[in-house]
Amino acid sequence: MHLPLSALSVLLALPAAVRAVFQDEVGHIDYHYELLGVPQRETTFFHRPRRQDKASLLYTLSDLGVLGAVNPSTSSVVWRQLLQGNITNGAGYLRAGEDATWVASAMGSSTQAWDAPTGRNLWSLDFDGRAKDLEIMELTESDHKDVLALYEEEGATVARRIHGTQGHVVWEFRAVNDDIPLQVSTNVEKVFVVSLHGSLLSYSLKVTVLDTLTGKRLDEINIGTKGEVQKPEDVMFVGANSAAPIVAWTDNALTKLKVNVLGNKNKQEFPLVADTRSIEIHAPHHIQSQPHFLVQSRTKTANRADVFHVDLKTNAVTKAYDFPLLDGESAFSTSTAGTNVYFTRVTPDEVIVTSSLSHGILGRWPLKGNDVKSGALHAVSEVIKKSESAYAVRSAVVTDTDDWAMIRNGEVAWTRPEGLSGAVAATWAEIPESEDLAKTLEAEAHSNPLEAYIHRVKRHVDDLQHLPSWLESIPVRLLSSILGSEGSAKDSTTLTKDNFGLNKLVVLATKRGKMYALDAGNQGRIVWSKSASETPSTLPWDVKSIHADDVKGLITVRGADGEYIIVKSDTGKTVDTMGPGFWPPVQSVAAVDSAAGPWLLPIGIDGKIAEVPLAYAPKQTVVVRAGNQLKGITFQPQGEQAVEVPAWVFSPSGKQKIVHVATRSVHDPIASVGRVLGDRSVLYKYLNPNTLVVAAIDEGSSTMTLYLLDSVSGEVLTSSVHRGVDPNKDISCAISENWFACSFFGQYAIRDSETQSVKGYQLAITDLYESDISNDRGPLGEALGDDANFSPVNPIDQPTGPVIPAAVSKTFMLSGPIRSLAVTQTRQGITSRQLLAFASDAHSITGIPRMVIDPRRVLGRDPTPAELEEGLSKYTPLVDLDPRFMITHERDVIGINEIITAPANLESTSLVFAYGLDIFGTRMTPSLPFDILGKGFNKVTLIGTVLALTAGVMALGPMVRRKQINMRWYSS
Amino acid sequence: MRASFSAAAALLSLLQPLVASAADVLATTAVTLAVPAQPQLPNPAALPPSTHATLSTLYTTYSAPLSAANTFVFRNVTPGSYLADVHCATHAFAPLRVDVVASSTPDKLGMLSVQAWETYRGNDWDNKGEEAKEIALGGTAESSVATATAALPVRCMAPKQYFMERSSFSVMSILKNPMILLAMVSMGIFFLMPKMVENMDPEMRAEFEEQQKNNPMASLMGGGGQQAANPMGNFDMAAFLAGSSNKKDEGGSAAAAPADRRRK
Repeated sequence: MHLPLSALSVLLALPAAVRAVFQDEVGHIDYHYELLGVPQRETTFFHRPRRQDKASLLYTLSDLGVLGAVNPSTSSVVWRQLLQGNITNGAGYLRAGEDATWVASAMGSSTQAWDAPTGRNLWSLDFDGRAKDLEIMELTESDHKDVLALYEEEGATVARRIHGTQGHVVWEFRAVNDDIPLQVSTNVEKVFVVSLHGSLLSYSLKVTVLDTLTGKRLDEINIGTKGEVQKPEDVMFVGANSAAPIVAWTDNALTKLKVNVLGNKNKQEFPLVADTRSIEIHAPHHIQSQPHFLVQSRTKTANRADVFHVDLKTNAVTKAYDFPLLDGESAFSTSTAGTNVYFTRVTPDEVIVTSSLSHGILGRWPLKGNDVKSGALHAVSEVIKKSESAYAVRSAVVTDTDDWAMIRNGEVAWTRPEGLSGAVAATWAEIPESEDLAKTLEAEAHSNPLEAYIHRVKRHVDDLQHLPSWLESIPVRLLSSILGSEGSAKDSTTLTKDNFGLNKLVVLATKRGKMYALDAGNQGRIVWSKSASETPSTLPWDVKSIHADDVKGLITVRGADGEYIIVKSDTGKTVDTMGPGFWPPVQSVAAVDSAAGPWLLPIGIDGKIAEVPLAYAPKQTVVVRAGNQLKGITFQPQGEQAVEVPAWVFSPSGKQKIVHVATRSVHDPIASVGRVLGDRSVLYKYLNPNTLVVAAIDEGSSTMTLYLLDSVSGEVLTSSVHRGVDPNKDISCAISENWFACSFFGQYAIRDSETQSVKGYQLAITDLYESDISNDRGPLGEALGDDANFSPVNPIDQPTGPVIPAAVSKTFMLSGPIRSLAVTQTRQGITSRQLLAFASDAHSITGIPRMVIDPRRVLGRDPTPAELEEGLSKYTPLVDLDPRFMITHERDVIGINEIITAPANLESTSLVFAYGLDIFGTRMTPSLPFDILGKGFNKVTLIGTVLALTAGVMALGPMVRRKQINMRWYSS
Repeated sequence: MRASFSAAAALLSLLQPLVASAADVLATTAVTLAVPAQPQLPNPAALPPSTHATLSTLYTTYSAPLSAANTFVFRNVTPGSYLADVHCATHAFAPLRVDVVASSTPDKLGMLSVQAWETYRGNDWDNKGEEAKEIALGGTAESSVATATAALPVRCMAPKQYFMERSSFSVMSILKNPMILLAMVSMGIFFLMPKMVENMDPEMRAEFEEQQKNNPMASLMGGGGQQAANPMGNFDMAAFLAGSSNKKDEGGSAAAAPADRRRK
């Protein structure tokens, strides 16, 4: 047990260097949107997780692959699971049996059952192939429900019945053919596997009837479709689990609906309303429910619905009644209570509930509140019969703004901004100055001094009108600042800059083509949201760059297909937009300086850059990625245009593949050019703004090489090789100041002693100095002596060639995987830095102090007093991701893809924002909040102490005076 | 949940020399970890549902969510030496080394056996701790793949502490302050000394006063008696700055009384 002891000593040594979050700061400095993703139509439902309990939860499997349960009365997440461990793109199946205490999900290759109230896993099974459908068998020969899973394998369709509570396969049906499995369905007696048979563009429907007990094939029914079913999506619906499951499709012109009741050959046709754009079929999912279903037809501007009944004896489908054609979008949903089936229609104006039996309206509630005025895409509802004629309904509606709203009897009870999930790009933006003031100031600057002076005096006199209200507000402000309630006193709906620079905007773009702006100073309040729908061509939206122009207050978002949209940062108003296809596809975008000012240079596929006008020629070397190469490109004038001239090409040696390129952030100020050692000598930092880190991996030999490149000359400044690096796990790098760090999973024998090996997640960090020796600037120093202009392209005239930095490296073992590395930023760079990373398994964001992972930590001996003074401790291989490092503390943050940081006006503070699936933001003070009084500063105590001291002085003063006088007079 | 399994199976063939016995690379087994009730964690059923465990080695990662029976079931695990971690928001768990090896005994050829030890991060991989012995689970014979009958126990180290304690205001913390202590002691002397001196018998008192006269500390004793109340009272800043330290010409009335006393 010798190691735990040493680990303990590290743990004990650390807290001094760590500033964890205080409990009372939670929710004040940080904010977190615990998101699921936008719920999908087929995988969202109300379900009672406990048989004896009336309360139901709202279950969903979202378009990002998150399975979650939401409390329908509070909108809080009860539990959630990221099924594939990472964000996925749609698909997935989720079902719950009536009164079952579990829900079953299928996604990718796995089928899983989850305990409905707690979210614990009941069983997980993995099979070959891909899950195509999932159903619950409500009635089995024993008292539990079973799961039917349909898988598509290479050249085979596999249906399995899985024991619902124990998770073993009861039977397996395998059909080796090239059919496309569609769905599996069951009524009481049989199991139906519906697949598409035939060739592309002319499929027929094949229904394989299976025995419920053995899974043996009983019958096979082919239903001709006359070429109407050309692809799997053309089959609208395969009725699930009702007493009479159906399969429905339409003709190509969407004029007729064809319905077949599974288990027989007949199909029936029903006309659709003219100009139908799409149809949707809603049916109850429970076996005891009446076999009724609803067909919703959408035209371009309106929608209607027809209700059909299936006769269980004759299998005849008849139309019962219809819902009238109404303008706008409406969402239909089915809910069941015993055998009764209710249909709920949510229109932009009202919520209507009918029974499936007749068209009589059971309840009608006008929609209050304008929040859900936007179109409802789909909904799930729960209808409760309160008395003979009174009903209550609550519907969870997904709107076209990607919100998930709960409408309870016509009132919006809550809205979850699920659209924030799946963010693919985000940037910080300053809150623009009020335009009037900016204009006035500019006008003053440009007029003659006297006029400007008069104007200014006038303006100040005008400003006096605000004085009374300002004076009025003083007592309130004073009181609130003493009691520490400034947060609540502030008007949270206006966007204002603050002196500390904590109020900033974060603008983000999501893969669904939406844009949001959050107010970072106001617990991440959504300032505006909009659909960039005119811009993205394909979903998911592949955003290549998002850039904030703080001078003009504009945000530019560029997509992969050349589309872009420019919006105002404070209001989200579109300034300019260009659809996809007009401009060539974009691989990335570089912010460059040119004679005409800074602009965003789009870089085409494979790093191709079109000719640019001479005035716009970038002054810098632009580094582009072309396949597995990096290219440095400069521009040279050629007539009116500037053409690209490759300056250098970097391709990693051998079979190496570039897996990660980390660049310096634009704002990376350096407060000190050297590092003062314990003996007061200085180790000069190698500070080259034009450096980038490239991680390249050779998958065959699993060796990773880290290169530090000079982006002007393309020179490799330093490189290091790491053996036994797993290419399948996250590799992520970050570079800042004079150091870079890279995290990976490594498994290798230690070089010093081949008998020892290590395995685990690691962090390699390298410091760069101008020279190994302190008070020495290496070859650079001599160059600076005679010529202050140093250029990496014209290396110093020395036999050693260009300046090679002295690198000091250490590798640390981490207690878990980290990815999406980022570094805190502060205004002047005086504050020490922290390495931020998403700990994907811990569901947290960790901030590792630079001091802990200092490459200069002393190896193999205790640090000398001089080294201690420098802040160095003894090297221990393990860096435990201490819970106190976690800036997300107890919050469960999942699916983070990127972390961005920005400086505040306060030197101590760095703003942090993380996005991906969840949204998390906070403020960090890596060197403690030395320039701001935090909550720990107790003003009440301070005032109390002063008062107490004053009272003490007042009381003691006369006594002392009396005593002194007495002393003089009585002493002799 | 098998993030990279299919890819890993393919890549594993590259690793054949590493696999202890490459008899059948595709042979797989199930590994079950269990969280038993233990002093640091009396009620494992209270663990949050986000708790999950991973088995990682080069090229391969398996992940398993926490089951209702407080177990983690990894399926289709191929032979190899894995690092097993339990990731939990509320508690920290000790990592395990899990070895899945093909049996070498002829009668069980091809069967995979699972062994686990405690491992120490940042140490040699072969530096194994105590072996984690399989424990029997409550499952009965009719239990199936979902609930294995035996599992490797994981040891909970401690509950996680995310927050720092803010030093709260208390009277004691103020009273403990050395400055306050000093002030209180001097105040005590200020009040008590004269009383004590009064209570002494005359001889002792005379002796004490004699001592006081010679004691340079007397001036500090504030209330000690003879000195001026404020020792700084006759400090002449101008004289001090001028460099003259002798204050022979005491003129101020404040110093008159003690001066008389000294001459006596």
